[in-house]
Amino acid sequence: MDHRAESLRYGRPVRPPPAARRVVAVAVAALAAAGCDLPGFGAPDPKSEQGESIFSLWQGFFVVAICVGLLVWGLLIFVMLRYRRRDEQIPHQNPYNIPVEILYTVAPIVLVGVLFGFSVAAENDVTELDPDPVAHVDVIGFQWSWQFVYTDDDITITGEPGEGPEMVLPVGEPVQLRLVSADVNHSFWVPDFLSKRDLIPGVDNEITVTPTETGEYVGRCAEFCGLDHWRMNYTVRVVSADDYEAWLDDQPRGGEAVAVDESEDTAGSGGAAAGDGPGGPTGGGGT
Amino acid sequence: MTTVDERPVTAPEPPEPELPRARGLLAFLTTTDHKRIGISYMATAFAFYLIGGALAMVIRTELAEPGTQVVSQGRYNEMFTMHGSIMLFLFLGPFAFGLGNYIVPLQVGARDMAFPRLNALSYWFYLFGGITMLTGFLTADGPADFGWTGYTPLSSIVRSPNIGGDLWLMAVVLTGLSGVLTAVNIVATVVAMRAPGMRMFRLPIFTWNMLVTSVLVLIAFPVVTSAGVMLFADRQFGAHIYDATAHDGVVGSPILWQHLFWFFGHPEVYILVLPYFGIVTEVLPVFSRRPVFGYAGLVFATIAIAALSVGVWAHHMFVTGAVLLPFFTGFSMLIAVPTGVKFFNWIGTMWGGSLVFPTPMLFAVGFLFTFLLGGLTGVMLAAAPIDFHVSDSYFVVAHMHYVLFGGSVFALYAGIYYWWPKVTGRRLDERWGKVHFWMTLVGFHLTFMVQHVLGLEGMPRRVADYFDSDGFTGLNQISTVGAFLLGASTLPFLWNAAQTLRGRLGAPAGDDPWGGHTLEWATTSPPAAENFEGTLPPIRSQRPVWDLHHPDHTTIGLAHGRERAGAARRAGATAAIGGDPGDAGRLGDGAGDGGADRPPHGDSDGDDRGGDGS
Repeated sequence: MDHRAESLRYGRPVRPPPAARRVVAVAVAALAAAGCDLPGFGAPDPKSEQGESIFSLWQGFFVVAICVGLLVWGLLIFVMLRYRRRDEQIPHQNPYNIPVEILYTVAPIVLVGVLFGFSVAAENDVTELDPDPVAHVDVIGFQWSWQFVYTDDDITITGEPGEGPEMVLPVGEPVQLRLVSADVNHSFWVPDFLSKRDLIPGVDNEITVTPTETGEYVGRCAEFCGLDHWRMNYTVRVVSADDYEAWLDDQPRGGEAVAVDESEDTAGSGGAAAGDGPGGPTGGGGT
Repeated sequence: MTTVDERPVTAPEPPEPELPRARGLLAFLTTTDHKRIGISYMATAFAFYLIGGALAMVIRTELAEPGTQVVSQGRYNEMFTMHGSIMLFLFLGPFAFGLGNYIVPLQVGARDMAFPRLNALSYWFYLFGGITMLTGFLTADGPADFGWTGYTPLSSIVRSPNIGGDLWLMAVVLTGLSGVLTAVNIVATVVAMRAPGMRMFRLPIFTWNMLVTSVLVLIAFPVVTSAGVMLFADRQFGAHIYDATAHDGVVGSPILWQHLFWFFGHPEVYILVLPYFGIVTEVLPVFSRRPVFGYAGLVFATIAIAALSVGVWAHHMFVTGAVLLPFFTGFSMLIAVPTGVKFFNWIGTMWGGSLVFPTPMLFAVGFLFTFLLGGLTGVMLAAAPIDFHVSDSYFVVAHMHYVLFGGSVFALYAGIYYWWPKVTGRRLDERWGKVHFWMTLVGFHLTFMVQHVLGLEGMPRRVADYFDSDGFTGLNQISTVGAFLLGASTLPFLWNAAQTLRGRLGAPAGDDPWGGHTLEWATTSPPAAENFEGTLPPIRSQRPVWDLHHPDHTTIGLAHGRERAGAARRAGATAAIGGDPGDAGRLGDGAGDGGADRPPHGDSDGDDRGGDGS
């Protein structure tokens, strides 16, 4: 199980050849330069380095989409106005125009190729794992809250349904999050970081988050996980390095870990299990 | 060649003995006639659409503001699960199959589907599959509530012990089986039942799209059907296929379900839109008085979309961390190319035409404007990093409704207004049709445009409620108002349909009310039991009925953009469809001299007669 997830994981992105990478790098720089003055088109201002990559990619895609959209809408409106029926004459019946057909086949291929290059570049930025994170946090999702375990400092923060826990991160430093599900699929999403990743039993997921601005951000569960999915929120508080150290010192050590499904024998065995209620938060019982 | 032409070609089966014909409801219960089965399919699918739509009204009411309005959280989860399941499994696909059932045999000049009894069986599987799913509402614990995607482990017996989940799975299996059988039937009909001269590259685009859709069904549906059976085995027989907990050292895999489901799920999206692309491609040329622009390119674009759609399932799983991102990003983006080709084909069809805008055309044009937005957000979603932000958010909800409502349902209504006269003999009322269109258009965009923004701002999908502090209230209220307008837009249509059926609205249609191009307009409205009276003369072009009515403006023999309509060809065109069988000999001779009226790759005359395609 693990080795398969390992080999497919996108912590090790496929690298394009050097020449292609240089072209993409230049293009990304150009896009980023252009992106400085562009609005977010609905997306929140990014509050993490990874979010910034996604933000500029989003801006670029949005601009391209608007251009293509306006072109096609323009053509449609022109055709509808210009060729409205005015008399009963039969119009010309040419069913082909090979040069035009080639043009509108090749142009999208080129456009898509460029978009693909930008996309891969941003994707490598976002999925790259920092080799030297300042902290490791295990993020454990369960029905219906979260537990954050600072493994380097033996700190455990557990939320309750409707009362999300708080994750404290230092500004400007990379933190590695290991995403583990205790029961069903969940998804770790901080909209201000513009990034999410699923928690799926049997899949090992790790991401690096590098917050760029202090503040309090709402975190959500994005993958439908049952009754209280809608309020499975938490808070991510980004603080200065000093405040972070102080916070670490204040926290009690130890704490009870949430049981992960692997240790239970909960699988449905015929009708017998049908009587069980839907599994509630599986607190207690060490891993 | 002359002797071949005189063969009676449309009635390969011996005439059935005269039995008393059943009437009314009994006729529909006992029928194997493709037209009656088609109508049954479409009526049933539309009934499910009304149920699914009612659930959508509950969903939007509940989300109108923070707090509980009409249903509890648990009920809400059932509502959105059943809304999605009904619309995707019981409405859009089956409606397309119903329309295909009705139209495809007519368009290829056949008397019925290839396997009429199998056809009836498919319908009954579908009907009872649908009823099975809905009976979940009658059980104590309610219907399935794990989302229409049924992700494991949430859909396991431990996390979702209610019987509604099992009913849902059985319904998916039954309707999946029904889809496979229908697809077999359509493929056989198109491949083997074409009238003489109806080569593959003379097929109307709607029939082409139904053929490609059917092939996709044959690839995708068996996968979801077996995945459903395996999940059922997990739930009821103690199998551990999707179970991540170890049992005697053996570990199952919850993510396997996602792979199997989306291996079905992504082709499914194209199964739900390709038939509707086909409808639009039938409607636009007729109301533009133009041939389909770039016919061959359009066919290959359809095939390309279908082929690519089989290799992109994991773009639904970008945020799972279990798939290779660049491959699926690249392939998914490539789909934009053939889809773009289709758009330019549609514009090229209207370009230089003579456009009128009765209701079918309004809906087809509404489709073009609306579906374009769904396509553009689709390219965004193909980029994995953008997915990292918007996946599982209301942005995706908006995108999929722009594709499946703004695309498919708009085209579906275009098809209803377009073929209603053929099916019933009366045209629907134009004024009510226009009211229907504008309410649908405004209601739709009001509902779903703002959902893009909600998703970007951070509203996850499938939430029963949200907090005041989230700041989602204003846009949700706009969306809810739009949804009520969209829901109400169905009423003028139902009124129009009911009154037209009673003969109080609309107008008698005649055989060919729109100046149609394809073979279904060559027969009566509604068509006789055996579809075409007597025998069809050999088909000469992609739009035989147009050629019959406009002998001076045919495209027979046209290649590569040059219009060459000669006098000899005009005579040929007239005879090609309208001539009595006695003319056929002369027609055949005309075709023989020089081969000027063949497609560029024209081959021997024998092909024309056999109808075995090019």
